[in-house]
Amino acid sequence: MLAPLHRWIWRDDERRVHKLIRFGETETDGGRDILRAAEVTTDPLLRRLYLVHAIDELRHGMLFRRRAASLLPSLRASTKRRFYADWIAPGGHGADDLEVGDETDDSMLAFLHLSEKAAASRFTVYRDVLADDGPTCAVFDEILHDETFHMNYTLVQLARVSPQHHKRRLWRARLSRLWKAYLRVAMAIASVLGGLLLIVQYFVLLPPFAWLAKRAARRETAGWVAISSDHDSITRQY
Amino acid sequence: MKILGISAHYHDSAAALVVDGVPVCAVQEERLSRRKNDAAFPLAAIEWCLERGGVEPAALDAVVFYERPMLKFDRILTCALRAFPQSWRSFPHAMRSSLGEKVWVRGIISSYLDVPAKKILFTRHHQSHAAAAFLTAPTRRAAILTTDGVGEWATLTVGRGERHDDGSAAITLLREIRYPHSLGMLYSTFTAYLGFSVNEDEYKVMGLAAYGRPTMVDKVRRLIRSTPDGAFALDLDYFDFHTTAARSFSSRFVDVFGPPRNRYESIDLDTDEGQRFADCAASVQRVLEDTLIGIARMLHAETGLSDLCLGGGVALNGVANARVLAEAGFERVFVPPAPGDAGCALGAALYADRIHFRNPDREVPDHPFWGPDVSGTELARVAQEDGQRVDRFDDDALIDGIADDLASGGVVGWMDGALELGPRALGHRSILASPASREMRDRLNRDIKFRDEFRPFAPVVPSPVADRYFELPPGGARLARFMSGVFNVRPEWRERLGAITHVDGTARVQALDREMAPRLYALLEAYGRRTGVPVLLNTSFNLSGEPIVNRAVEGYSTFLRCGIDVLVAGDTRVLKRTSVLASRVES
Repeated sequence: MLAPLHRWIWRDDERRVHKLIRFGETETDGGRDILRAAEVTTDPLLRRLYLVHAIDELRHGMLFRRRAASLLPSLRASTKRRFYADWIAPGGHGADDLEVGDETDDSMLAFLHLSEKAAASRFTVYRDVLADDGPTCAVFDEILHDETFHMNYTLVQLARVSPQHHKRRLWRARLSRLWKAYLRVAMAIASVLGGLLLIVQYFVLLPPFAWLAKRAARRETAGWVAISSDHDSITRQY
Repeated sequence: MKILGISAHYHDSAAALVVDGVPVCAVQEERLSRRKNDAAFPLAAIEWCLERGGVEPAALDAVVFYERPMLKFDRILTCALRAFPQSWRSFPHAMRSSLGEKVWVRGIISSYLDVPAKKILFTRHHQSHAAAAFLTAPTRRAAILTTDGVGEWATLTVGRGERHDDGSAAITLLREIRYPHSLGMLYSTFTAYLGFSVNEDEYKVMGLAAYGRPTMVDKVRRLIRSTPDGAFALDLDYFDFHTTAARSFSSRFVDVFGPPRNRYESIDLDTDEGQRFADCAASVQRVLEDTLIGIARMLHAETGLSDLCLGGGVALNGVANARVLAEAGFERVFVPPAPGDAGCALGAALYADRIHFRNPDREVPDHPFWGPDVSGTELARVAQEDGQRVDRFDDDALIDGIADDLASGGVVGWMDGALELGPRALGHRSILASPASREMRDRLNRDIKFRDEFRPFAPVVPSPVADRYFELPPGGARLARFMSGVFNVRPEWRERLGAITHVDGTARVQALDREMAPRLYALLEAYGRRTGVPVLLNTSFNLSGEPIVNRAVEGYSTFLRCGIDVLVAGDTRVLKRTSVLASRVES
């Protein structure tokens, strides 16, 4: 349904490069998280699978970066700020956040399964709208092949480590993703509103202080400044 | 007294515990959280330090934060006001960042550790650097020079430290240069211009500099001028770092030096563009060195002291350190293993102990190994679970076996004892290899570290024979103790030490004393008996973009992901099944 929107997003060359670079970073970060999971789990089979998964993710990061690098020379230099639509078209693990050390094996597997599923569905859309860009399409194809394995093994292993409760785990992970998505939206709105308030204060309250600060700066001379004796007290924060 | 030191919130968070005047332990948060340059409040590091020291938070006599957060906020706010109205875009971000967490350090520490607010103390940023440099150095009195990007207001300080006969110690910082005039920011601006990450990749600029010629020194000098009192000042028209967090250099800077490098494009030194970037790096490196030497000379003339303690992130610049030693007039230059912000946790704790509480000075063990220990048993367990070939040996047999592996061209992941504090792997979390050929350097860059081909590797050599292979000036061995100086490889050894000889014939040498890392020392001797050259390539045990490994399992996962052939932790050796060495052992 959103294919026309994604087609528009990916049509712009600069935006395409930016997105590939960002996807590369997301995949690399995700790979490091999964690597961490491999290092903290006590289950030898999971450790091996996580390691394979992490290596895949790190390789995906490299594939994205290489493709972006190959497109870079064709771009004209531009200093204009652009709209990249990052939140409309997120990367592999999107904006999912993860505290690997706090997760149990089953919650980690449930999280990974859902993340991989979501990533696979997004990447399928991106691949389809990029049909005219063969090399980028091939990158998505290769990654999608791996994502299928990741989706499958995480589900199979979840059923193994939590045979009684794996469905409940998946539902809990879905709810957790939903909650985190709500928090992200709420924080983004709060951040925008907070930023606006601060900008208003900046222009309304700060000008006289700015004038004083600039006047003081003009009086300062560059070079050495002697260090005063109050330097030695360490009970103060200022 | 039990004193906890903390550094946090900007880069390289860390915690350190000092008990009765002696450091017990210290660790960077990134080594535990596994997030490179982790700047978060170092909760994991604090918990580990307290557990290691067997100290309950209530039993702490003081918790010392490494800088004054309100004074730092004063600088951030003042700079926003001075840049009005250009700072409107960065102002909300700066305020949210500062007011969200960074200025409430006393409350944060108090609530996390449940210690009364009066026990929480604040050294100044450069006091912490100075203490980390002087109070850990084996010297009675020394001049002190600290320099980095910026602390609260200071970017560079000079002073002196003294240990008195009555057991007390004193650190007197005499004067400072204030933000925005900063050597660290000058270098970081070029780091950003050259497409590297600020506060992280400055060492890449230093490595790149060796490939260039300082043809743009005059242009760089337009950016930084000497002041009549012997200090320096930046021409702020060329910079943007003081008005926005988004960009370090201005369009005028680009007019002088040309378009900046795109960070996603590799540097091709065979092209004019690649050479321009290398020349740029060489030029700013030269100006940094000359400026530091000028200030150090002045400090030497003023204090008449023979020793200099260097602190702050700029002290990680080994090329500049070596020139300061050679040209500033000091006989010895001391640089701690963690001169950057991570080391400030230890510096702040020591400053509180010696200066604030006036406790008698105690000798600080002269090594960098303050972190968690590695377990050979843990490595054996995980490797056996994966069906790897695992052997456990006594020390002599292990050393002999590893020396054989290295002499056969193997690459060894070496974990031994406690983790290093600071960015250098100094023999406890190292990747070791033969230093003999350039092919080994290329193999390490390509298959193991996954990093730019222009990056050099460092050697480790037993201290008594270091001078045979490297041109160490008087005092050089001390500077090389923690890999803090770059020195010439003797011309007759450059071919035989091809993997560690940089393009300009230099190397960042580690001169190892037996007492500091006895097992690595024994390995160097054993390797020397086999090859005639007791020198090994020593690079940090991590992959590009990751922190140095801490636990055995982290070393193991790194081992599986790259071309390391052999992994050692304590008494345990794991041989990779796919390694050529494995088939040799089988046969």
